[in-house]
Amino acid sequence: MNATALPAAVMPAGHRLGAWAPAVVVFLALALLPVVFEGYVVYILPQYMLFGVMAMSLALLWGQTGILSFGQAGFFAIGGYAIGIGMSHELPINPAYIGILTGILVCAVTAALIGYFLFSAGVRDSYFVLVTLALSIMVEQIAVSQSELTGGWNGMFIMRPILTAPGLELPLDGDVSIYYVVLVVAAAVYAGLRALTTARFGKILVGIRENETRMEALGYRTVLYKTAAFALSAGIAGLAGALYGTHAGFVSPSLGGALFSTEAVVWVAVAGRSSLLAAFLGGVIVSSLSNYLSALTPGLWQLFMGLLFIAAITLFRGGIAGFLGRLPARRRAMP
Amino acid sequence: MLASILSVAVDAVLITLVLALAASGLAVIFGLIGVINLGHGAMLTLGAYFMWWATAHGTPFVLAVLLAALGVCLVGLLLEHLLIRHFYDEPFETLLLTWGFFLVCTEVIKLAFGTDFRNVANPLSDTITVLGLELPAYRSLVALLSLVLLLALAAVIFRTGIGIKVRALVQNREVASLLGLDVGLVYKQVFAAGTFLAGLAGALISPMLSIDPYIGNVFLIRSFFAVTVGGLGQILAGTLVGSFVIGGAETLFALVSSQVFAQTVVFALAIVLLRFRPAGLVGGRR
Amino acid sequence: MIKITWRHDGVTRRGFLGATATVGAGIVAAPYIVRQAWAATPIRIGVISPLTGAWTVYGKAHFAGFELAVDEINKAGGVLGRPIEIVVGDSKTEPRIVVEQANRLIRQERVDLLAGTFSSAERNAAGPVVQQSGKILLYPTWYEGQSQEFFPGVCNKNIFMFGPEPSQQVWPHVEHVMKSHGKRFFLIGSDYAWPRETNKMFKEKFQELGGEVVGEVYIPFNTPQYESVLRDIRNAKTEVVFHTLTGSDTVNFRRQFHAAGMSKDIAIWTVDDEEVVTSGLGPEVSAGTYVSFDYFMTIQHPNNKIFLEKFFAKYGKDALMNTVGVGMYNAAHMAALAIAKAGSTDTAKVRDALKDLTFDGAPQGPVRMRGEDHQAVLPSYLMQVRQGWTGVSDMFEEVRSLQTVEPVPAKCKALPL
Repeated sequence: MNATALPAAVMPAGHRLGAWAPAVVVFLALALLPVVFEGYVVYILPQYMLFGVMAMSLALLWGQTGILSFGQAGFFAIGGYAIGIGMSHELPINPAYIGILTGILVCAVTAALIGYFLFSAGVRDSYFVLVTLALSIMVEQIAVSQSELTGGWNGMFIMRPILTAPGLELPLDGDVSIYYVVLVVAAAVYAGLRALTTARFGKILVGIRENETRMEALGYRTVLYKTAAFALSAGIAGLAGALYGTHAGFVSPSLGGALFSTEAVVWVAVAGRSSLLAAFLGGVIVSSLSNYLSALTPGLWQLFMGLLFIAAITLFRGGIAGFLGRLPARRRAMP
Repeated sequence: MLASILSVAVDAVLITLVLALAASGLAVIFGLIGVINLGHGAMLTLGAYFMWWATAHGTPFVLAVLLAALGVCLVGLLLEHLLIRHFYDEPFETLLLTWGFFLVCTEVIKLAFGTDFRNVANPLSDTITVLGLELPAYRSLVALLSLVLLLALAAVIFRTGIGIKVRALVQNREVASLLGLDVGLVYKQVFAAGTFLAGLAGALISPMLSIDPYIGNVFLIRSFFAVTVGGLGQILAGTLVGSFVIGGAETLFALVSSQVFAQTVVFALAIVLLRFRPAGLVGGRR
Repeated sequence: MIKITWRHDGVTRRGFLGATATVGAGIVAAPYIVRQAWAATPIRIGVISPLTGAWTVYGKAHFAGFELAVDEINKAGGVLGRPIEIVVGDSKTEPRIVVEQANRLIRQERVDLLAGTFSSAERNAAGPVVQQSGKILLYPTWYEGQSQEFFPGVCNKNIFMFGPEPSQQVWPHVEHVMKSHGKRFFLIGSDYAWPRETNKMFKEKFQELGGEVVGEVYIPFNTPQYESVLRDIRNAKTEVVFHTLTGSDTVNFRRQFHAAGMSKDIAIWTVDDEEVVTSGLGPEVSAGTYVSFDYFMTIQHPNNKIFLEKFFAKYGKDALMNTVGVGMYNAAHMAALAIAKAGSTDTAKVRDALKDLTFDGAPQGPVRMRGEDHQAVLPSYLMQVRQGWTGVSDMFEEVRSLQTVEPVPAKCKALPL
């Protein structure tokens, strides 16, 4: 069976993940930014880009496959702890690399096991939301209780790593160097996910989102595809978390908790779950906006965030990207 | 030995019933009309604050409980009318909107009632002796009320005209609307009932807890699991069984392990239960 | 092998070269543009307080203490002829946000030093930031003491501790409570480092005095119901509960403890429930409890009278102050004294000036910053909550007090810091 055999409904025009041009503009702008700006902006944006990467991992799952997860922060935290634990050991290979790889693997394997366990029994929709919520709470609790390994509730310190390759040794303790490393990773994740979503795998995921029974009837083992999507998404969240840990220099259990998980869902919901780029920008912009409002009115910023959030959901169904995506369609529909 | 088994059992029952009370509003809103109400915690909090405000202004306890519940119900109706009713078809959107409600409500509470801890005096501060066990009187009363409330709810749903409409709606919306049922109105009534229950629970629980702007959230996730593990739509048995699994089991595990480990185990158990009984322990087909 | 060392470009100022490049960057950078210029360049201090999130209840006193002190300093003409300006950061009770805010205050707002953070986790989150940026952090909260394990959150030459640690808050009173109520103690705390370390220190002294720990449990945060713990406490024939729960959990536990009729025959000694929590408990539940801290609103020291007059005048007669707010108050005054003594805001000079500095105007009586490990030398009060109290002015009754308690040396790799 090949992609052409997929039902037509699988590829509605409005749901294509957009052309390359906007993404090129966004990443180029981000690449030029440290040339123009200095100081805090350059320091903080990598953290927000990593939130953006976590948001993309959720968009893959939620926008593409129709599975909402409240567990992304749990995987993010696992990634952060993995690199922290890795870097506190003397290893023959660069411990940062081992830490990142371990983080990704632990997340992906955990998600694969749990995903298969649940999807194979037909757990979906709000039930899956609850399970992933429980997952992130469990990560938080384990991080609190295994204090020998994680430093418990008081958190764990992580050093900035040294980027090594044959003939190269680059300590990432400057703002600019780590900025570009994070940017490259974010762009690579975007490009990879985009390629994947436009390939056959992505189309099958969309098919599952639109009508899972039909995909099963067509002979696709949807459970495996959903499990793969969940594992991939968890691995990406873990990667983002690992880089976040080294950038921030500190991780603590609340990084895995329900509140941060919900925040990730908010980014994606506001920006638009149907677009990877929108999700990425959602992570970056909503975090920046929080930061800005909290500096402006430390007592009231959460109120404004809540109101903005409600407004975004009410006014733009499918997020801002979904709204923008429908605009040309509407215009075309006019005589 | 027997006495200690008995006291563990009584503790588990008390915890189960108080959790069931906190979860009852969610059991109605999530269980009957499928709205994932992440604002449930904020509604409990709001109930507690209304209760504090009313008692601080000299309102008698029972009247204050009713006023608090009605106040929260009003807020809930406003939320439903302005936002939720436009999104019943979209579960993710209602989930997000109710989360937005939580954010806004918490901040408004801070502005209106301040950020200090508040407290509501315990109206029955004595203890009673049951089966040789000394129990806190007010907590026992609340547990009893919780049971009565759930029984009454079940009676409403299974014995009255409104109940029949709601059940028809839950089972098949298209048919219900073809039969001339005003779907929007029934949804509104159910939502209002759910928020009333949340306000009532918040008010009744307030003398046992600290009142701060985040108090309701300690019950939010527990309530979700209680309702889901028990079975959506199973107002009486489902909520009780679910609350026992989430609340009571924690008490039992805590006997043999640390508290944190007991909580982790309970969540893991909930995941496994959802896997093997997706319709809930009490649920039929769904 | 090529070795590339990137320039450290985080903390130099070049201003804006172009217009907003992206929305995100523009949003983050905007306050920087709108900030107005001051007549005399103020000394800028970044204050990180828990204004939203789980520990909002402590945020008000935390921030007010610092603000009040800065008002006083500015009214008296500032420091080195310069006013002090506070730049606020909300920690959201989240270590993750503390990392963001500490960096914002240092890199964007260009503050000269930092004060605040509330919990140990928040302080630890700020540790690497002040370590890397070479700024000072003034930390106000009672905490578990310093041990090298949590470097750079503690044992950090840039962090100064203004709150008491267990050898000051707990040790002086163990014998008294044992003599009054018996030797069977049950320890209950929240599940994290502060309660565990505090209990470890407590047991050291307690077992030396022949006490018996009949139970020790740690409760996860946000636990609403306590039946099983109450049963254990009763079954263990407990005489005293030594209590290190925090936040709303402490109130939940205490209310249920009282409702179960246990406060009649079991004494409670808490090292957490200051004015904010005790007023949340209400008079009935809290009556008779022992509480120990370096400061209470009801202490009799003449400095406290003057302090409270100013505090009530600014924040109203119902406002709550506590050990943390006073820690922040002392931190602001001592920072001002140190800057005046150093003649500049240079970190190394201020750090040296803070070492062994004494502040005579502290509300709890003179406070000295011990030079070798940056730990404040403070008084220690054991109070009992009065029956039927009506407000903070009659909430606590003094049982015993020590005017200066020298803490045990910090367990850091190298002293002096």
